[in-house]
Amino acid sequence: MTALATQNRSRGIKNSLAKWLITLGGVSVLFTLVLIFMYLLYVVKPIFESAQIAPKVSVNVNLAVKEKVLSTGVDELQEIAYQITDTGRINFLHLLASSDKSEPAHKAGDTALSLSLLAPMALDDEKVIAVVNSYSGGKLLLTEAGHATIIKPSFHSQYADNNRRIIPKVNYPLGPVALTLDEQESKIAKIAFEMDDETAVFVAFTEDGRLIKTSFIAEDDFGSLSEGEEAEYESIFQQIDFPLNHVDEINVTPDLSQVFVRSANSVYVYSLDDEYDVALKALITPELASDKTYLTSMALLSGSSSVLLGDSNGMISQWFEVANDSGRQFEQIRTFNAQPSSGNNSSPSIATIYTEQFRKSFYTVSDSGLINVFYTTSAAHLWQGQLSDEKPIALGIAPRANGLVLVSNATNIETTEQANSKVSVQTFSVHNEHPEVTWQALWQEVWYEGYPEPDYVWQSTSGSDDFEGKFSLVPISFGTIKAALYAMLFAVPIALTAAIYTAYFMTPVLRKKVKPTIELMEALPTVILGFLAGLWLAPLMEEYLPAVFLLFLFLPLATIITAFAWHSLPNNWKDKLPETLAPILLIPVMILAILAAFSLSGSVEDALFAGDMRQYLTNDLGIDFDQRNALVVGIAMGFAVIPTIFSMAEDAIFSVPSHLTSGSLALGATQWQTLVKVVLLTASPGIFSAIMMGLGRAVGETMIVLMATGNTPILDWSVFQGMRTLAANIAVEMPESEVGSSHYRILFLAAFVLFIFTFIFNTAAEFVRQRLREKYSSM
Amino acid sequence: MISISPKTIATGSESLMTTPLDLTNLTPEQVALDINGLNLHYGNKQALNNISMAIPKGQVTAFIGPSGCGKSTLLRCINRMNDLVDNCHISGEINLHGNNIYGKHVDVAELRRKVGMVFQRPNPFPKSIYENVVYGLRIMGENNRRRLDEAVEKSLRSAALWNEVKDRLDESALGLSGGQQQRLVIARAIAIQPEVLLLDEPTSALDPISTLTIEELINDLKKQFTVVIVTHNMQQAARVSDQTAFMYMGDLIEYSDTNTLFTTPMKKKTEDYITGRYG
Repeated sequence: MTALATQNRSRGIKNSLAKWLITLGGVSVLFTLVLIFMYLLYVVKPIFESAQIAPKVSVNVNLAVKEKVLSTGVDELQEIAYQITDTGRINFLHLLASSDKSEPAHKAGDTALSLSLLAPMALDDEKVIAVVNSYSGGKLLLTEAGHATIIKPSFHSQYADNNRRIIPKVNYPLGPVALTLDEQESKIAKIAFEMDDETAVFVAFTEDGRLIKTSFIAEDDFGSLSEGEEAEYESIFQQIDFPLNHVDEINVTPDLSQVFVRSANSVYVYSLDDEYDVALKALITPELASDKTYLTSMALLSGSSSVLLGDSNGMISQWFEVANDSGRQFEQIRTFNAQPSSGNNSSPSIATIYTEQFRKSFYTVSDSGLINVFYTTSAAHLWQGQLSDEKPIALGIAPRANGLVLVSNATNIETTEQANSKVSVQTFSVHNEHPEVTWQALWQEVWYEGYPEPDYVWQSTSGSDDFEGKFSLVPISFGTIKAALYAMLFAVPIALTAAIYTAYFMTPVLRKKVKPTIELMEALPTVILGFLAGLWLAPLMEEYLPAVFLLFLFLPLATIITAFAWHSLPNNWKDKLPETLAPILLIPVMILAILAAFSLSGSVEDALFAGDMRQYLTNDLGIDFDQRNALVVGIAMGFAVIPTIFSMAEDAIFSVPSHLTSGSLALGATQWQTLVKVVLLTASPGIFSAIMMGLGRAVGETMIVLMATGNTPILDWSVFQGMRTLAANIAVEMPESEVGSSHYRILFLAAFVLFIFTFIFNTAAEFVRQRLREKYSSM
Repeated sequence: MISISPKTIATGSESLMTTPLDLTNLTPEQVALDINGLNLHYGNKQALNNISMAIPKGQVTAFIGPSGCGKSTLLRCINRMNDLVDNCHISGEINLHGNNIYGKHVDVAELRRKVGMVFQRPNPFPKSIYENVVYGLRIMGENNRRRLDEAVEKSLRSAALWNEVKDRLDESALGLSGGQQQRLVIARAIAIQPEVLLLDEPTSALDPISTLTIEELINDLKKQFTVVIVTHNMQQAARVSDQTAFMYMGDLIEYSDTNTLFTTPMKKKTEDYITGRYG
């Protein structure tokens, strides 16, 4: 051991232990921050991902010679797919091989059930010419001879020996009968139908050129029908005036209120509101790109407000009713481009548009078999690609919209004479969880269904299933900034003047009492400020609105008058009151000013605002008034922010070295000149940080804005209007949102935006503060 | 009109070196400041005891004494900097041109404009060199750029700083060295043309070379101003001052011309102090 080696071991251990603990503390703070940041990004990331479609199962199916698949579908779990053929058969196929234990065993591609759908009606020798889907899940089979029946493939699960089996079944919602849809019993060329529990509506175009509507009104309830039973209903037949003798497509809205009839390039919209009189409501004639372009397909978007029209040029337009000066009219809202990306010369013409049942997504299939996926609200082009070499024979969307089933000609079969008798059934998994979110939908004006014009709207949920989620972050970001600005408008003048007075003019004795008192205000829980603002201040201000504005006049005026009176008092009077107590004189003056303002409130209202300022604002000035408005929030949040700004600004001013003040005073400057030219200048970095800290607090503040803003996500600077802030929005909606849903992730995005807001404010503040400090720092 | 009295000639700087003034018997024209029966209390503690002295015009007067003897307090009384101290009570009078600065209708800011002060630590404002020098003029409302430019050059030349900073007048004053900062502060003080310049231990925070520069500067400054300097450095007092006052425990012990005080002090306490027995 040399003399210089550590003599005291425990001192050495303590030293290194302290060093490591402090390092650990610092690193874990940084680590936590990064972790929060990463977690937010991790939750938010999926909403910006595009759709992905990946093949899952592919099986080949033997069909009877010359059988044609007309429709296809799959169960919720995508274990069993079915095809309906033109012979009226439905084939249920296993898509997965059975597990070892299940009985009976099957492998992928085995038939689970095969039925003739027309057999119960003894129509099995007729050919099915069309299978028409409805949103209610029913499928209408139309035969060459004009017979129709409605079927509904269904699946139910059986559990035996720890094993799930899915049993396919076919229901006949109106009973296993051939329905009479036309009084004159002529053949039907085109048909559409939709039904709910009480009514089924069919709109058809007969081969003899009539457009007819048939409604079945249930005696009881279509839903309560037991198996095999025939429904009892009253039929109402009606012919619709239709000027043309050709119809391409018909769609009835799921709410049974409108029917869209497309004939070549025009779409006739009829209202079904009156059961006995179908009236033409509108005629949609889209402007097409050129003379050679024509409409090829039509589909209703989920929610029955919008209609989609696809044309031969690969463009799809979305139309819905918009209220304007001349009433409600159909307008083209936006278009989607389904043309193949460059270098592909295949025909872009849209063959069919398939819409999802619960969301505003739709799939287009072009003549060349090119499939495109879009989402209307966000105008997002989610996917483009070819899933089969040719145009698929039939396409079905899984009920949860997480899969596709595609029936196409089995091209990999070499025996050519059997080519028509073998089809390939493929399923695809679709990852399209958050199609409604795009940068544009979050930050730009979006034209939502039923809105007169594009707008920034936040409305995440609604009572209706047909609801279109409106996720614009603009109104809530705006609300955050509005609340913070009004709070700062109230807090900064008060906090800074208080800080200047306390640090520079107040006697040390009084300062020692005043400063901790104001700082104690910071410890006041904001929830208390929030409910005081919401439940006491807001109604009070509503009742005595003129008093609030009188106060802005009276308080400064009373202060100045008192100060002037004090100044002009003879010295020997002043000496009787200790200098320390002089400012306390202001307290009764302030109280008097407040009382005066409130007692004058009524008279001012009578004299200037015809007795009621609120009414006057709304009726005469056209300013909307919310009880919980920016004024209330400004004052309440101002109170929360004042101690922060005051405390830091006071410290900054107080710590201006006295040799600088003395230097200025010794040059003949007055107290005021010294304050303005030296003290405030030197303290400016500190004062600036104080204001930025206050702003940071106002931006992140939750409870006050939650309770006192009314939480209305509107874009309006008016001081009499409420707002919704990012923080309050998260607090209000997070408990309601489904974990992992788009809404949930957008709330995380809102949190991320809030994080970025405060990050930007703090960084800017630090940057400016450093610059100021370099310039004005004293020794 | 042309007749010049011998006493007036005696105030001229040439004759000063040779003939010391008779401090007990000055004519009113020779006196810059007349301190008369000045007492100062901090609360209950008396810091200055009945000080009476006359400070001659256009000369350098030094206050010396051990720490806490009241020399800085006395200096700060001259431009009423003690007003800022709480619980400080002053009685007696200080006359500037026969006007009591503690009188009723005195504008303190106006007094301080006439009695400038330089502090122990250099205290330039966090502004440019130029703005530091013109600070006093600006607060008096002078904004004429040409006049300000002239004042800056003149003051900086007087403070022997012009050549060092003339190319960087717009740079921050905080970038100067300690000695330069102190000269800048002196330039700032003389820019408003005060009558009296108070220096409160102006070199105690500076290195020997800067100290020497400031001392030379003080010698030049007395041509224009009456200078009162507080120092704890007796050699400095001996080098720069014409009169020296020795203070001890709030009392003015001895006040005479510098040469006499340092060579043949009248009082025992003075002798003890200047010979280093205490202090």
